[in-house]
Amino acid sequence: MKYVILIHSNPRPWGHPTADYVPEFQSLPQERKDAMLADFERRLKELSERGELLGGEALGDAANARLYRWTDDAPLATDGPYSEAKEHLAGFFLIDVESQERAEEIAGQFASPGDTVELRATMWPGGDDQ
Amino acid sequence: MSVRELEDVWRRESPHVLGALLRRHGDLADCEDAAQEALEAAARQWQELPGNPRGWLITVASRRLIDRARADAARAGRELAVASEEPSPVPPERDDSLELLLLCCHPALSRPSQVALTLRAVSGLSTAEIAAAFLVPEATMGQRLSRARATLREAGVRFERPEPDDLPARVAAVLDVLHLVFNEGYTRSAGRALLDGELTREAIRLTRELERALPDHDEVAGALALMLLTQAREPARTDARGDLVPLARQDRSRWRRDEIAQGVAILERVLPRGPVGRFQLQAAIAAVHAEAPDAAGTDWAQIRTLYDMLERVAPGPAVTLNRAVAVAMESGPAAGLTIVGGLLEDPRLARHHRTHAVRAHLLELAGDHAGAADAFARAAGLTASLPEQRYLNRCAAEARR
Repeated sequence: MKYVILIHSNPRPWGHPTADYVPEFQSLPQERKDAMLADFERRLKELSERGELLGGEALGDAANARLYRWTDDAPLATDGPYSEAKEHLAGFFLIDVESQERAEEIAGQFASPGDTVELRATMWPGGDDQ
Repeated sequence: MSVRELEDVWRRESPHVLGALLRRHGDLADCEDAAQEALEAAARQWQELPGNPRGWLITVASRRLIDRARADAARAGRELAVASEEPSPVPPERDDSLELLLLCCHPALSRPSQVALTLRAVSGLSTAEIAAAFLVPEATMGQRLSRARATLREAGVRFERPEPDDLPARVAAVLDVLHLVFNEGYTRSAGRALLDGELTREAIRLTRELERALPDHDEVAGALALMLLTQAREPARTDARGDLVPLARQDRSRWRRDEIAQGVAILERVLPRGPVGRFQLQAAIAAVHAEAPDAAGTDWAQIRTLYDMLERVAPGPAVTLNRAVAVAMESGPAAGLTIVGGLLEDPRLARHHRTHAVRAHLLELAGDHAGAADAFARAAGLTASLPEQRYLNRCAAEARR
């Protein structure tokens, strides 16, 4: 079962890893920050070794996004960001796991102060006839 | 020799080649590499099929294993015990495929690793083919396979038949893996991927081989019957537009009678023999459906009895849900809805689309169209299957009319 883990964040200025630019994370004691970053790297490596991590990308500044809306029977381009919300999509991971429980366990491990982690199932082309 | 012919030989011989190597040298990764090199040598050298292709492949692969062991020993500056051990030119006739299946489905491995390793080592599929079948990148599948081999090595797993006491549990794991491979292929045949027929065929082929190796194992026969009886419905499970058609609405004249006959014959042979396991019961349920002229003319009392038995043998929410349908069809929707209501109290089942889909069908049967529409919509929102979502959205729209 495949899921995407979406990382919503508000890094100021925009940068990666987002934790380096998020005040809620930066205000933590250095030791804690180091431990959390090391944990994150270790988990990512472990996911990859287990064959659960299919891929992922860090995204560019949401302010520099280009938006295309259908207007007057044609696409009209404007500048981003897409949403007025404080947080924006900053990156994503694609995972393939045995169960919803495992997906939830992994998504929880991606949580970080100041960020919101969103777990979404991906649709697949098959189906049961029962 | 054509690539296709060589592929056929490889698919037939690879488990035996690997088995022969593993009996001499226990490490799966080394043996797979050596077998792969032998296959590459065959592709270069075979103008036509040699008299004993298995013996040829085993001999060449054994030499590669010894060469490699020598090189490793030389690097380490050690004497080599196996150096004098020349491969026997004619391998003893012995079927190792059961031991190989048991090794690939070893309890130290996760279920996805067991599936991947079985398809790689027993079926002889390439990493790229397995990755394509499971819709993941080749690198990811490569990781799963390497990790699985490393796990076997670290656990010190040996290539041998388990103790008789352990055999039933080990065979049960093999059946779970083969059934999973079958389902992966069968459920996907409503989608657009191309390799699905291959997965169902391969699962049936391996289960047949397992049945030959263990003819007295009734659950192996039961699993084979279940796969055949399910596979028989395949032509009817999508409509002209490619949308999913649920069992109750399938055009039964399109079911494949030859597969049904095979499945029923297997069941008639094993069911009277004694305690029945979950695969035999599921196959028996599929057989009752297969013998009914349509959904209304189904012997629901018998299906209900079989689900009652299944719930004792292999309890689980999916079984209870199916029992609720049988109860509703036999005694009216209210009785079924009571069972589903109980399941919905579990928050995990309340987030599962099938719980709501079954509830929706039962509400519709009870004449509560508004309630059914809401439940269909809830189920559509929860499923991760595109064809099921289209079907459930359509049901919701119909119920609202």
